[in-house]
Amino acid sequence: MRTEFLRPIDGLKLPEVYRALLRPGETGADLYGNAHQLPRFFYEITSWQQAREVRLAPHFTLAELMLVDCREARLLLGQFPHYVPCAIVLLARLLEDFRREVDAPVFISANGGYRSPAHQIGGATSIHAWGTAANIYRVGDTFLNDVRSIGKYGAIAASLSPAVFVRPFGLERGQTNDHLHIDLGFASLTPRECSDAS
Amino acid sequence: MFSVDVSNGLHEELEALALKNKARAIGVALHDLETGFRFSLRGDRWFHAASTIKVAVLLAVFRAADEGRLRLDDSLHVRNRFFSAADGSLFRVSQDRDATPELYAAIGRTTKISALAHAMICGSSNLAANLLLDFVGVEYARTVLREAQVDGVELRRGVEDHGAHERAINNEATADGLLSLLSAIRGDFLTPESKREVIRILLEQRFNSMIPAGLPPHATVAHKTGEISTACHDIGIVYLPEREPYIAAILTEFDSEREGRRETVAAISEAIYRSLLRTEPKSNED
Repeated sequence: MRTEFLRPIDGLKLPEVYRALLRPGETGADLYGNAHQLPRFFYEITSWQQAREVRLAPHFTLAELMLVDCREARLLLGQFPHYVPCAIVLLARLLEDFRREVDAPVFISANGGYRSPAHQIGGATSIHAWGTAANIYRVGDTFLNDVRSIGKYGAIAASLSPAVFVRPFGLERGQTNDHLHIDLGFASLTPRECSDAS
Repeated sequence: MFSVDVSNGLHEELEALALKNKARAIGVALHDLETGFRFSLRGDRWFHAASTIKVAVLLAVFRAADEGRLRLDDSLHVRNRFFSAADGSLFRVSQDRDATPELYAAIGRTTKISALAHAMICGSSNLAANLLLDFVGVEYARTVLREAQVDGVELRRGVEDHGAHERAINNEATADGLLSLLSAIRGDFLTPESKREVIRILLEQRFNSMIPAGLPPHATVAHKTGEISTACHDIGIVYLPEREPYIAAILTEFDSEREGRRETVAAISEAIYRSLLRTEPKSNED
């Protein structure tokens, strides 16, 4: 793994324009009204080249987990630095375990890794704003877009840990139909060199 | 008067073509920017718009760009998952019907909005059309049509929404309406940069068996075709080096899957060309 270039920063010390978008440490409510604290500590990414070079796990680069489309806030889309919650390393570990179980390449969709609280899809109510969720649209040559494939690979993901949550196939809120959503809950990570004190 | 003579002769010729080729209905609208001549044969009759509706989506996308709502070089997540205008049920578009297989290879990843606009028009990609319409929104696109003073184009949903089709929720257009849509594109509704880009995209149309097929080789056409089982249309701006362009909207309706539909549109295109330039029919000896 190449993670030596990752520099953790305290989101509370970021310039106001970034804090307004990333909302570090703020309390928000999820879709069901449960309160959660948004991530406070982030890795600062200075370029796409860096994102592509940083391997969070043997088969997953940071770039794969931070690809978003134009629904992301302009400041977090078109220029660097970018910021991703430190818990992204836990997600990469989960994905690596999943890849080992399915024994095939695992593809994460655009908008399917970390999305900021300012992203138009879900915003701060989405667990993707914690960097602990991934949308897998393809495993090997199989596109996960029907009840069978999402059910099959969802069961494998769920078997990896009691902490893993998998959304079922369907059209309703909280269900998916063109990808497999897996997440680790609203987990945050404080790097060893950082302090939780305000 | 010149225009009356042309109009009468063209009217009769188009009616004869429709009869000969067993068209169930035709609607033709024409505006010659060289002379100001306008012509409409059942221009207010409504047809299923088929893929001509993508020109309305194109206008909305570029209007959104002009308004700063999007940037054409922005990337959009490509996913084949849409919701019916009828009941919100899930539907996907068929890759088999799409001339842009490369776009399906991008599912899960992102593609630039400008590339989607190009695929939607030049390859008539249903996937690109639905992605763009989803992104700008049907209501926004309808607002743009109103602001552009385009009457006669009813955009209600994405394409391949069979659930909506079964409930008669369709995109519909008249020849007059589609003519006004092309006129809006050619006018000053868009910024000069957007207008140039929209026309450039329309000029790169890959399906050229209708309006262009009825024209001499030196003509270039910024156009969009539309075909479903019973409808076969082409709408375009025809550029000829010796004169100002003319705009034509040719809509036809046939019994399902009848042969010779495109040839009929091409023949109408040729008749329009001859009437405007008062030339003899093309010889089949050359």
